[in-house]
Amino acid sequence: MLNRIIAIDCSPPVINVLNDFLGDTITLESLSFKNIRELKDCRMIILQEGDEKPDLLKQIRKLRYACHFRNIPIIVFRTMENKGSMEPFITAGATEVISLQDPPAAIRQILSGHLIPNRQPLKEETEYIDSFVKNTCAVLKTVASLDVSFEEVYFDNDFKIFGDVSGLIALTGGAEGILGITFYWPLAQTIIARMMGTDEDKINAELIHDGVAEIVNMIGGTTKKDFVGQPYHFEISLPSVIVGSGHQLGHSDKMPIAVLVFRADSQYFAVQICLKPDPNGKTNGK
Amino acid sequence: MKVIIADDSKVMRNIIQNAMRPMGTEIIQAGSGQEVFEQLEIHGGKVGAIFMDWNMPGMTGLECLKLLKKNEKYKDIPVLMISTESEDDKVSIAREAGAKGYLTKPFTNEELIKFINSSI
Repeated sequence: MLNRIIAIDCSPPVINVLNDFLGDTITLESLSFKNIRELKDCRMIILQEGDEKPDLLKQIRKLRYACHFRNIPIIVFRTMENKGSMEPFITAGATEVISLQDPPAAIRQILSGHLIPNRQPLKEETEYIDSFVKNTCAVLKTVASLDVSFEEVYFDNDFKIFGDVSGLIALTGGAEGILGITFYWPLAQTIIARMMGTDEDKINAELIHDGVAEIVNMIGGTTKKDFVGQPYHFEISLPSVIVGSGHQLGHSDKMPIAVLVFRADSQYFAVQICLKPDPNGKTNGK
Repeated sequence: MKVIIADDSKVMRNIIQNAMRPMGTEIIQAGSGQEVFEQLEIHGGKVGAIFMDWNMPGMTGLECLKLLKKNEKYKDIPVLMISTESEDDKVSIAREAGAKGYLTKPFTNEELIKFINSSI
């Protein structure tokens, strides 16, 4: 049960606001950044901006990476209004920036919004997700001899995937949607090196770009075969790749996105899927 | 013997090239269907086989295969498809268009070497 909120290096006024807001079912744990060990059962992370915290952006970024693609909100409290743009915090991986000067009711509403449980899976998602899980593991086992385990799935249309390299492919034809895969750089480098049978230090950005495109292409290609004759059968487009340390990938809130988190050794990656079945309930016969 | 590897993925071209290295084959890389024709022109059509991806930008592998089979100069060059298009009907389409062999991605290195050895 996710019932822990971590407040990191927060002052008494912020802790008081949080205590006023939290009920009995959620535990507030006040920690110093250097004492953080595990975020797995964490439901929200609170940080506080301050003049004495020059490393706050680095901390946000480290925490976002440490979330391992889980949709844990990172909230930054500001103690002074209009001190500057909130954009650096958001691009570092924060979910929301709140001013401590805001009315308590507004703060409670914002925090409550981030504690709303994820939506339940749609019927079609329960029908097509297993195939993507199976084929993601199979593709990486086949091309990179990498043992991959499926860790969890969540359904949150608003969450932005934070990563270093993402491959995206449009699913078209009968069923339509999008398939994406996002890695942190070291795992992408490991996988492409294994695919090519070479050392990781020989894998440059161009090869990672190219290899991640090929991986998402193969996952899409093998999965569409599973859906022949079903309303989920799709065709794949040419893949696109986004490279950038800490880039954030969002989708339209009208698209029901399922985020699948996988683990390879001690590293994680995420697959994002949205697939709208063919309204005619058949394949397009291409 | 010269062989063309046509795939828009440099990673995939290098994987196939590495598998063929022990055979002493001269490898020519192409990133699209158009580049296949450019390379054939450069090498005077003296190519022993073409390993062809299906989904490439511009001229797709299937389009390229069909054009090759209509071309008097190149129609006898064996074309081997290597593609993520894995449904049975896709394989049939490629074979009807003249593909001599078909290997679906993903593949292990052993499967690739076996495919190459059985194809050329």
